[in-house]
Amino acid sequence: MNNTWGDMAQYDPVTWNWVIAVYLFMAGLSAGSILIGIGLRWYSKEKALESAILKSAAIISPLAIIIGLACLVFDLTKPFDFWLILVNYNFSSVMSIGVLALLLYSPIGIAYSLIVLRDELSQWQLGFLVPVADALMPMRKAIEVVLFVLAIGVGAYTGFLISAMNAYPLLNTAVLPALFLVSGLSAGAAANAIGALLMFNTHPHDANLSKMHGLELPVMLSELMFLFMLFCALYFKGGAAAAALASITTGVWASVFWVGVVGIGFAIPLLTMLMPSQTRHSKGMMIAVACCSLTGVLALRHFVIYAGQSYIS
Amino acid sequence: MSKRYVMVHDENRCIGCQACSVACRSENGTPEGVTRLQVRVEGPFGDAPHLHFKYNRVSCQQCENAPCVTVCPTGAAYVGEDGLVSIKEDKCVGCMYCVAACPYKVRFINPETKAADKCNFCKDTRLARGEQPACVTVCPTDALTFGDANDPSSEVAKLINTKATYQEKTHLGTKPRVYRIPTKRGGIQS
Repeated sequence: MNNTWGDMAQYDPVTWNWVIAVYLFMAGLSAGSILIGIGLRWYSKEKALESAILKSAAIISPLAIIIGLACLVFDLTKPFDFWLILVNYNFSSVMSIGVLALLLYSPIGIAYSLIVLRDELSQWQLGFLVPVADALMPMRKAIEVVLFVLAIGVGAYTGFLISAMNAYPLLNTAVLPALFLVSGLSAGAAANAIGALLMFNTHPHDANLSKMHGLELPVMLSELMFLFMLFCALYFKGGAAAAALASITTGVWASVFWVGVVGIGFAIPLLTMLMPSQTRHSKGMMIAVACCSLTGVLALRHFVIYAGQSYIS
Repeated sequence: MSKRYVMVHDENRCIGCQACSVACRSENGTPEGVTRLQVRVEGPFGDAPHLHFKYNRVSCQQCENAPCVTVCPTGAAYVGEDGLVSIKEDKCVGCMYCVAACPYKVRFINPETKAADKCNFCKDTRLARGEQPACVTVCPTDALTFGDANDPSSEVAKLINTKATYQEKTHLGTKPRVYRIPTKRGGIQS
C-alpha cells in the first residue's frame, strides 16, 4: 500500500496465528484426555487393572502437551530466550500463571504416565524406567488428584489467556474458558478412543469405552450451549460486540465455523448416533467419528483465534 | 508530585505532512517496515465543496492502565518511575501477548532486536536531556504539545483545561495519555 504514512503490515489485528491455535488445541487435548482417563478410573470398580482408555490417555496427554509447548516456544520471536519466562513472573498476566501451571502439569503428567504404563515400558525398550515407575507407585493417589486439578487448570487457562484481551469482543467473554475446557474434553475422549482401539486393541463393546462414549453426548451438548451463550452475549451487548457476530456470517472463518466446527465437529457425530447400533459401534466407524470430533475442536480453536482477533472494539 | 506526561494532538493544526513520523524514525533508529508513529489521513468527510480530512495520530497512547503491562509474562513491559510505559528489551521473549492485547495496535516486534517496540515519548534520549520528543519539536504547524499535566502552569495542562479534547477507546478503561483536539474545519488534500 502506498500511503504517505507508511507500511500498514504491523497493524494487522491478527497477531497470533495458527501455531497458537494448534497450541490451544494440544493443551485442551492433553488436559481433556487425562481428565477423562482419571475420571473413568475413579468411577470404575476394576482399579487394579489399568484400562485401555487410561493407558491411551497416558500416551496422548504428555505427547500432546510436549507438541503444544514446542509450538509455543518456536512461535516466540526469541525462542532461545524462552527460559526468561520461567524465571520472571508477573501474576497479573494469565500467561505467567499458565507457565506455572504447565511447569507443574508437564512433569507430573509424565510421572503419572510412567505409573500407568509400567507394564508396557519393557516392551517399548524403556525398561530402565520401570524402577522409577515402581518408586512413584506409592504416591499414585496424590499424583492422580494433583494432576486432575492441574489438568482442569491447563484446560481452562488457555481460554482465560485469550479472554483477558478486552479489545476483542469475541474473545473477551466469560464463557470462553468453559467452552475451551469442554471442547478439550471432547477432543480428549475422541483421542482416547482412537488410542484404545488402535494401540491396545480394545473391543468396541468394552465397558470403559462405552462409559466414555456415554459422556460424548452431554459434553457435545454443553459445547453447543456455550457456543450459543457466546453468540447471544455478543448480540445483546451491541456495538462492537454485535458487529463481531459477522464472524459467523462473512469471511473464510465463517466457513470454517459452519463446515469445520458445526458440520464436521457436531453434525456428523450427532447424526451417526441415529445409525443402527451395529454399524456405529464398529471399530472403523468409531475411529471415523473420533477423527471428526478432533477436526471440529481443531477448527474451533482456529475460528476463535482468527475470527476473535479480526473484530476489535 | 509525580509527573503525568501527556501529549495533545491538535487535529485542526495538523496537515498530515508526516514530518513527525520521519523525525521519530531518525531519532529512534526505527528499522524499515515498522513504525512507532503514523499520522493517517482519513476521509474526505462532508459534502463538496466543504470537504475535510481527519488526521489520526497512531502511536502508543501511554495508557495509565496499560493492557500490555498487565499481560506481559516477564515484566519486560513496565511502567517506569516517570509513569511512562516502556520495554526492557533484554527481558522480552517475543511472545507477542502485548502486541495482541494492545487495543490501539501500536506495538510491534522490532525486526532487529526481536523484542516488542513502541513509542516511549523519547524518554531515554530527548526527554532525558530535558528536551521535547522529536515529533513535537519537528512539527511545522505546532500541532503537538507535550508536557507534565500535573503541573497546572504547563502548556499541556492549560490546553487540556481550555479546549474540548477526546481520547481513543476510553470505554476499555485504558486511560490513554494522548489527547486529541477534534477537527472543526477542513484540511488540505494529501
